[in-house]
Amino acid sequence: MILNLFDGFGDVLIEVALALTPIAVVFAFFQIFVLKFPKKKIINIIKGVIITFFGLSFFLQGVNAGFMPVGELMGMALGESEYSWVLVPIGFLLGFAVTLAEPSVHVLVDQVEEASGGHINKKVMLITVCIGVSISVALAMLRVIKGIPLWYILIPGYIIAFVLAKFVPAHFVPIAFDSGSAATGPMTVTLILAIVMGAAKQIEGRDPLIDGFGMTTIVALAPILTVLLLGFLYGRKEKETDG
Amino acid sequence: MELKETVKEVVYSVVPIVIIVAVVQFALKLPAETIVNFFGGAVFVFIGLVLFLTGVKVGFLPVGESIGNAIVSKGKMWIVLLSGFIIGFVVNVAEPDLQVLAGQIDQVSGGTISKTLIIVVVSLGIGVFLALGLLRNFLKIPMLYLLLGGYAIVFVLSMITPKHFFGVGFDSGFVTTGPMTVPFIISLGVGVSSVMGKHKSDNDSFGLVALSTIGPIIAVLLLGVFFG
Repeated sequence: MILNLFDGFGDVLIEVALALTPIAVVFAFFQIFVLKFPKKKIINIIKGVIITFFGLSFFLQGVNAGFMPVGELMGMALGESEYSWVLVPIGFLLGFAVTLAEPSVHVLVDQVEEASGGHINKKVMLITVCIGVSISVALAMLRVIKGIPLWYILIPGYIIAFVLAKFVPAHFVPIAFDSGSAATGPMTVTLILAIVMGAAKQIEGRDPLIDGFGMTTIVALAPILTVLLLGFLYGRKEKETDG
Repeated sequence: MELKETVKEVVYSVVPIVIIVAVVQFALKLPAETIVNFFGGAVFVFIGLVLFLTGVKVGFLPVGESIGNAIVSKGKMWIVLLSGFIIGFVVNVAEPDLQVLAGQIDQVSGGTISKTLIIVVVSLGIGVFLALGLLRNFLKIPMLYLLLGGYAIVFVLSMITPKHFFGVGFDSGFVTTGPMTVPFIISLGVGVSSVMGKHKSDNDSFGLVALSTIGPIIAVLLLGVFFG
């Protein structure tokens, strides 16, 4: 079984080497013609690149050999059972756990607290984003089960976002739109997407390409809307105290 | 000390979800072998993420910042734009989230949309839009206009691209802005806008990540329009 885990590791190593080659070439170019770092610094950088190489390789191997097949199997088992609706609460739970733990969400929360001059409490914001993402993941599961077109979710979502953007203090807008990718970290793409794919493969009439992908986009909407909504509430409060 | 922080970060992001998934697996009575594989995979992912994040901090980000400063100090628009394009491209090729998503697209589409194709197209999209985002510093275009324009193009392309490129395209945009690309984009943007616009510099660098998500979406939807 341990052998199983290393299946295809050689291919992964080659892939990762190929993925890191372009960036290494650009670094080398800048080093030779522009930066001209001293030797000591170069050695440190090379060490960093080697660590990154092994990190990326182990990560991808773990995803390929462990996370993806299991996530898919789970999605398939749940999708074909008569209790496929269980996917919705499971999605909610997974969304919450993933977001609460995501480092970039914590960076976002700090940013918003600062932008509101401390008026938007960090903890309130964190919980709000978590609930937002949970609803998104649950919605993504529902979409696979019921075959709801991605349009029906994205269009209202973005219309609300752009309308809200008109009414929030200006400095909230770029923070909100940047936050879209904050909740879609490595765990979302690997485990949750794999579960969605498995379910889409098993449920009759679903095409994983059409009904499965789009999941991270629904997740990305959650922090955008949350930040805008909090910005909207904050803006109104600010006006009240001004007038 | 740095390493301790990184380990903590990774523990927080991996452990809760592993526990939930493990519980569901037991409830579903999946075969023992897959459960063992899952935990093995989790250990790999854990080690991988710790090493990756450490390596990026030690080896990549300092160089990224130096390159950013070096480009900006030259002050020539075409150098900034060209470098933005190239850096956006090469950094994104090494993005772990993109590697995973592209692999999944390859597998689900039965190889008709290959992994390499997705990675190259998405990275081209990021490169072009990162360059555009930097260009707006020179031309002083408000970010909201660029975002609205970008989404308008996305909307039109979505109408004409084949159905199976739609979800894939959107996901490519949000997934690619991961742990490798975002720090690079931010440090590049902060560097450029601090030199270009003397005031409101922090307002200027925001929005660059959002803009960079639009690039890959447009690129993949276009791929669908022409080759779908």
